[in-house]
Amino acid sequence: MRTQLQLRVLIGLIILAFGIVGGLGPVFAQNPGVPAASEVENLKKQMALMEEQLRQLRLQVDKMAGQPVAPGSAGPPAASTADPALEKRLGEVENKADAALTATKKSFASQFNPSLSLAIDTIGSYKSNAQGFNPGDGTGTRDAGGRVNNSRPAGADFNLRTAELFISADVDPFTRAYAVINASADAANGDEATMGVEEAAIVTTRLPYNLTVRGGRFFADFGTLPHRHDHDLPFVDRPPSIDTFIGGESQTNGVEVSWLAPTPFYLRASGTIGNKLGADSREGVTNVNSRPIKGLTYLGRLQTYFDLNDDHNLELGGSIVETPNAEDITNSGRFERRLVGMDFRYRWYPLGSGVRQSLTIAGELLHDIGEADPVNGGRRTDVFGNPVRQGAWGGYVYAEYRLSKQWRPGFRFDYFQLQSEPLLVTNPLTGLPASTLNATGHRTDNRTWSPYLTWFPSEFQRLRLQYNRSVRGNAQSADEFFLQWTVFLGSHSHGFSERE
Amino acid sequence: MISQWLSRFCGLMLGVVLLAGEAHAEEKIYIVTSLPDLADIAARIGGDLVTVESLAKGIEDPHGVPIKPSFVPKLNRAQVLIVMGLEYEHSWIPALVTESRNSKIVKGNSGYIDVSLKVTPKEVPTDLSRAKGELHPAGNPHFNLDPEGGRLIAQTIAEGLTLNFPQHRATFEANLKVFLAQLNAKIRDWEILARPLHGVKFISYHQDFTYFADRFGMDYVGTIELKPGIEPTASHLVELMQNMKTVGAKIVLREPHFSEKVPNQIAAQVGGLVVKLPIMVGGSPEVKTYFDLIEYNIRELLKAAQVAGVAGKV
Ligand SMILES: [Zn+2]
Repeated sequence: MRTQLQLRVLIGLIILAFGIVGGLGPVFAQNPGVPAASEVENLKKQMALMEEQLRQLRLQVDKMAGQPVAPGSAGPPAASTADPALEKRLGEVENKADAALTATKKSFASQFNPSLSLAIDTIGSYKSNAQGFNPGDGTGTRDAGGRVNNSRPAGADFNLRTAELFISADVDPFTRAYAVINASADAANGDEATMGVEEAAIVTTRLPYNLTVRGGRFFADFGTLPHRHDHDLPFVDRPPSIDTFIGGESQTNGVEVSWLAPTPFYLRASGTIGNKLGADSREGVTNVNSRPIKGLTYLGRLQTYFDLNDDHNLELGGSIVETPNAEDITNSGRFERRLVGMDFRYRWYPLGSGVRQSLTIAGELLHDIGEADPVNGGRRTDVFGNPVRQGAWGGYVYAEYRLSKQWRPGFRFDYFQLQSEPLLVTNPLTGLPASTLNATGHRTDNRTWSPYLTWFPSEFQRLRLQYNRSVRGNAQSADEFFLQWTVFLGSHSHGFSERE
Repeated sequence: MISQWLSRFCGLMLGVVLLAGEAHAEEKIYIVTSLPDLADIAARIGGDLVTVESLAKGIEDPHGVPIKPSFVPKLNRAQVLIVMGLEYEHSWIPALVTESRNSKIVKGNSGYIDVSLKVTPKEVPTDLSRAKGELHPAGNPHFNLDPEGGRLIAQTIAEGLTLNFPQHRATFEANLKVFLAQLNAKIRDWEILARPLHGVKFISYHQDFTYFADRFGMDYVGTIELKPGIEPTASHLVELMQNMKTVGAKIVLREPHFSEKVPNQIAAQVGGLVVKLPIMVGGSPEVKTYFDLIEYNIRELLKAAQVAGVAGKV
């Protein structure tokens, strides 16, 4: 039954895809050569504009010479006198105009050059203890979140987290492309910086009906903070709940279609098909192996925004990710990854003074209702071996107050239920392995309290101090201190999705 | 079954889109501007043919307007986008234009009207190092405060609109003529009115009164900001106040989006006074049009110069 249903959905998707492609044909046919012809037309118009500018410059010269010129006169330039001094000035201004014209031409050419920026993000940290569990099976220490050998070790550490290069340019009149190349030295990778392609994607710019297609490797549209790069987060670390449930950034290899609704208010929808979700996700799916169709990951997101008035606004969103079979093709068993998320962002930003005094309150709530066990890479089971759904909740909420243009203190609270734990962890109340619910129905959870303070000496430099107090199940609680120093070189782009 | 529904749905959507297109053709030309001064002037040039909306409001910091998603549907529908240029809006307009999915108003296309094209920018940095500050990389973009800047803005807007809607050329040219005739008369009046401001020394929070000061012969002594967009250091303020005392500068201009604390302290230290001056239309409740903006600034400065006893003789 289920396979039949999925087959039908698939057929439906294919028909829809053909429908869209079929719909595009007539659009282009109706406006033959829309892009190419209009490009030439634009160039012509720009040339006309330049000629007009030159004419205006001549007019200004005449004015400088004291000749009365009717304001905004569209008539021909006044005849030049025989005055040699004036002739000389005219010549100078013409030279100036030529130089300006050349410069304009240069700037046209530079539009085809990529814009570059580099972010350097360095962190000094101290952690009192690692809070890892040792299952004693030779697989190494496990972070209670489920990932192996990936928790920050205890002790002091200076870490160049990222040196991230952002490159973007128009490809042609129909597409642009961007790439984020990252050299990062992770605690897990030893000290050596490794180069990686965080994102490399092609984005359409001229599709009709407010559609945009993005393909390649990118941070998928799920929630608000999951698709931000580390150095663009409002805190030093990614909220632990997001890090655990998504698996780092929401990276995927795939194709995304997004749509801006033609409504008077902001409404945006997107759908993505990709290999997986999460840069460090450990679901058994990787970018290396191929997979059956149902082993792909499907995402959807809907977001909207309202100005409550000039000074207050609210943003709401909902996301879902589904991997019907979170396994590569070599495995036969079926286990599902399914996450739903809700996010909100309230902002008080008084029109005149928001730059130096404003408040942001935002949060995300995630619910994991899949069957996948992120620790053991299989299906999640109870102590009796019966499959169970995660049913784990997680999320964060933070408030940040801008005291001045430079100072922003904030506070974040993060909570998540452990998706699964090594069996040696015993629930203190029931004496049973902690993967099962305890007598009161509560799961082992993780709470993190994080006050932080950000200082912006300029728009391109930022220092941030953060303290994390985390309490994790029955493991010893930990204290962590961070000092983050970030700079941006080049055309630090204020992208729409990185907006404050 | 599915395909039947799909084709019906597609047909319906297509119908809706076509209907929306039809409806649009009958409506006025929809113009979006980054700043209110441009909206005021564009409304004068476009007359009854256009509906104009400014994204920023007059009391905001024009360099740091927050990227509100509610701007996106407006830009999506815009037939023309008018900006100041010279990187004035670099922190918010480019990101919004990309998100708007409207290729007409992308920089380089005809629907993107940059009114700085005719302006000869002042204070152009000789090198592009950010050590010089972050907000004026292409020169000072506050040319709207000089009424001659208003002339260039109006001319560029008229040309840009004609380029996009050549069928309305005559209307735009006639409206431009009326606007410029009024502006010329005003400029003559303002030059007489502002004569006592000649040689008056002042500072401002941000480097935004350059064009105004040059037009009316005022003497710019310095800014509270270290560089455009960089908050002052203590040593910079000490140096600034010493400078003011040496040259006898008494007037401290404060733009509405800056805090009054530091300007008040400086004024108290040097025995001068603070004048709150809008840098855009709507920056003060009395300032409803571009003409109001220039006139208000001159009159407020005259009052202040008289109180401070630094006004020149006419
Ligand atoms: Zn400025």
